[in-house]
Amino acid sequence: MISKMRRVSDYKQLTKELPHIRYVDPEKVYINLTTSRCEDYILNVKPGDAVRLGQILGEKDGCFFKQPIYSTVSGTVEGVEKKIDGTGIEVECLVIRNDFQDTYDASITDRPDNVIEQMSQQDFVDIVREKALVGLGGSGFPSYVKLATEEPIHTVVINAVECEPYLSSDYRLIHDQPDQIFQGLSYVMKAVNAKSGVIAVKKTKKDLINILEREVKRYAHLDLRIAKLGDYYPQGWEIETYKNALGIKVPSGVLPTKLGILGFNVSTCASIYDAVKHNMPITKRYLTINGDAVKFPQSIRVRVGTLIKDLIKLCDGFTDDAEKVEMIIGGPMMGQAVDTQEVVVTPTTTSVLVFKSITDKEEPCVRCGSCVINCPVHIQPVNIMNAYKRNDTLAMKQLEANKCIECGLCAYVCTSKIHVTDYVRKAKASIG
Amino acid sequence: MPDVAIALSPLVIFAITQHGLSALWILLAAVLSMVLTEYLFYQVLDRLDKKPFKVKNDRFTLDNYTVLVSGLIYGLTLPDSTPLLITIIGGVVGVFLAKLVFGGMGQNIFNIAAFARVFVVLSFGAAAAYVNFVDETAGATALGLLMMEPFTKVETYSFWTMFSGIGLPGSLGETSGLLILVGGLYLLARRSFDVFIPLVYVGTVFVLSTAVMLQQGIGFWYPLTHIISGGLLFGAVFMATDPVTAPITRPGRVYFAFGLGVITFVIRLFGTLPEGVVFAILIMNMFVPALDYARWSNSRFTVRSGLIFAAVVALTILSVMVGASYVG
Repeated sequence: MISKMRRVSDYKQLTKELPHIRYVDPEKVYINLTTSRCEDYILNVKPGDAVRLGQILGEKDGCFFKQPIYSTVSGTVEGVEKKIDGTGIEVECLVIRNDFQDTYDASITDRPDNVIEQMSQQDFVDIVREKALVGLGGSGFPSYVKLATEEPIHTVVINAVECEPYLSSDYRLIHDQPDQIFQGLSYVMKAVNAKSGVIAVKKTKKDLINILEREVKRYAHLDLRIAKLGDYYPQGWEIETYKNALGIKVPSGVLPTKLGILGFNVSTCASIYDAVKHNMPITKRYLTINGDAVKFPQSIRVRVGTLIKDLIKLCDGFTDDAEKVEMIIGGPMMGQAVDTQEVVVTPTTTSVLVFKSITDKEEPCVRCGSCVINCPVHIQPVNIMNAYKRNDTLAMKQLEANKCIECGLCAYVCTSKIHVTDYVRKAKASIG
Repeated sequence: MPDVAIALSPLVIFAITQHGLSALWILLAAVLSMVLTEYLFYQVLDRLDKKPFKVKNDRFTLDNYTVLVSGLIYGLTLPDSTPLLITIIGGVVGVFLAKLVFGGMGQNIFNIAAFARVFVVLSFGAAAAYVNFVDETAGATALGLLMMEPFTKVETYSFWTMFSGIGLPGSLGETSGLLILVGGLYLLARRSFDVFIPLVYVGTVFVLSTAVMLQQGIGFWYPLTHIISGGLLFGAVFMATDPVTAPITRPGRVYFAFGLGVITFVIRLFGTLPEGVVFAILIMNMFVPALDYARWSNSRFTVRSGLIFAAVVALTILSVMVGASYVG
C-alpha cells in the first residue's frame, strides 16, 4: 500500500461497551518513587509507619520540578522494592500494605464552591502543583507548568480523542463521569480566564457525543463546543487536534500556549476537578486491559500502585491458545513492550495490552515511501533510519529526526514490516 | 510485488497470443535465468558462510516475487525474435550486475530489467543483426518511422492498432497500451505503486510533444503517437515505478518522473535511437540519491520548490521548442 492510509482499525468495541469494574483494593500498593525523569527522591516515612490515603510520603527530586508523592491507600509502609513502570524502566517503589479502611488524610477536605469562585490563577496552579498532577494522556508532563502560562489564552481544548486502538479508558471516563470533566474544564477556563472551551472527540463515537452534548447544555453559561474530528490516527496528537478542532496550525517548536490554546487530556481535566474540589491527588484511574490473548478484556477502575499481575488475574488470565504473549503498556502504536507482569500502575498508565506473539519476518526495505507519505510531521522516517544505521549524525539532523512524535505510524504502514519507529526513536535520542 | 505480477499477466497472455510460442520461450528464459542466478548466488554465499544446505535458504527472495517480476518485465521488453541465448545472458548479467552485487533486494541502484535490456541492446544489437533493436526490428515501428521522418504523420498504423497493439510489431509486452493501462489501473486500485510517477512521466512527454506540435504546426497525432507507441507506457507503469530505484519523497518522485519524460523525449527527438525509455530510466536512476539527499529533500512541496520546478519546466519546454526548429 503506497498511499496515505491513516485510518487505523481501532478495536475499541472489545471493551468500550462494557461497564468498568472496580478493583480498588489490592492487598499491597506500590507507589513509584522514581520515574524516568526523576531519579532521586526524599522519603518522609519509614517501614512500619501507618499512612493515610492522600498523605504526603515524600518528594520526587532531581529534576527541574519537585513533586510530592502521595499515598493512594491507607495502611502500613513495608519498604522499598524495585518494579517496572509503564515506560519499561526499573523504578523504586514504596510498598504499602492496604488496611482496606481508606482512612483519609486530614488534608483531604472539600473546597466550598464560594471559595473556588474567589481563586486566582496562582491559587489553581498551587493546588495542581501541590497535588502533583501530570498529563494523564501518557506524557506525564506536570500540569501546573501548562496551567501557569502567562500568555493570554482564548481557548481551552479538552482532548478526548483517544486515537490509539484498543484503548477505552478515556471513553469509559466520559461515559461514567462527564460531570467531573466539565467541572474541571470550567476550573481551567476560570484559572486562565479563557473565553471558550472545546471538547475534541472523534465523530465516530456517537454515544459520547450524545453525553457531551447533554452536558454542554447544562453548562450553558460557558461558551463550550464539541469538535467532532475525523477517525484517523494520530488525531489525538495535540497539534493535529488543534488543527482540526480549531483550524489553528501550530508550527513545529512553538508552544500552543503562544497561540492562545491550552490543551489538557480528558483524564487530566477530571483529575484537576478532584484536586480543586476535593483536594484529592490522583489515587485511581481507568485502565483498559485488552488484546487477543486476554480471556476477558475489560475496563477497570484501578488504584494507582496496583500490580498489573493482579489485574490480569482479574481478567481470567491469558487465553489457552496463547503460547507466548507480548505485553504492551500503553497503546499498540506508542506503548512500551514489557516482558514481565511485575509492572506497577502509575497515574499515566492508560492500558495493558496482551497479544499473541507473532514474529513477522522483517524484509529488506524496498523504499516504497509509505512511511514518508503517512508521516504526520512530514519527516522521512526511512531516510532517518538509514542515516542512523550508518551513524550519520549530520544527516539525522538535516532530516529533522528531532521532530518525530513517535506515533508509530511508519512502522504500522511499513510494507516490509520494519520497526521504523524504533530506529527513528534511537536516531532522535542520539542527536539529543 | 505479487500485484505487479498479476498486473503483468494480461500482457504475458497477449504476447503469447500475438507472437506464439516464441514469446513463451523468451519469457521463460528471461524469468528462469534471473531466478536461477539469484538462487545460485545465494546458495554459493551460504556455502562460503559455511551454513548448512537448505533447498529453500534464508535469502530466497522468490517469496516476495521481486526477481520474478524483474524477469517478467525484462522478458516483456524484448522483441519476439530475440535468440534465447542472448535472452539468458542478458538475464544472468542483469540480475547479477544490477542487483546482486549491490546487495540484493532493496539495495540496487539501477532498475534490473532496464539494465538487462540495455545490456542486451549494447552488447548484441549488431551481432544479432538488429538494426533498430531498441524499439523493434521485425518491421518498422511507429517510432522508427518517426525517426526517419520526424514530423510526418505515421500512416502505416491506425491509432487503434498502436493503442491495442494487435498486429503491431514491437517488443513482446510494450505494444499494447490498452492492456498496460489495465494493469496500471489494477495497480492503482491496489495502491501498489505511486501513481504520480506514470502520470508525470507520460504528462511530461505529452506536454513536450504538444509544444513541438505547436512549434511545427502539425496535427494532434504527434503527441498521441509519442504516448501510445514505443515503450513509454510500459516503462512508465512498470519500470519507472519500481520503488527501489525511485526517490522516496513525493516531490522527489515528481522531479524524477519529469526527468524521465524529458530524457525520453529528447532521445526520441534529437538522439540517434528511435526510443529512449530504458536509457531515461537508467539515467534518472543515477540521480535518485541526489533527489533524496538529506539537505534538500522534503516530503512536501513548498512554495519555493514549486516555483523553481515551474521555472525549470518552462525552460525545458522553451529549449525543446527551440531545439525542434533545428530538426528535420
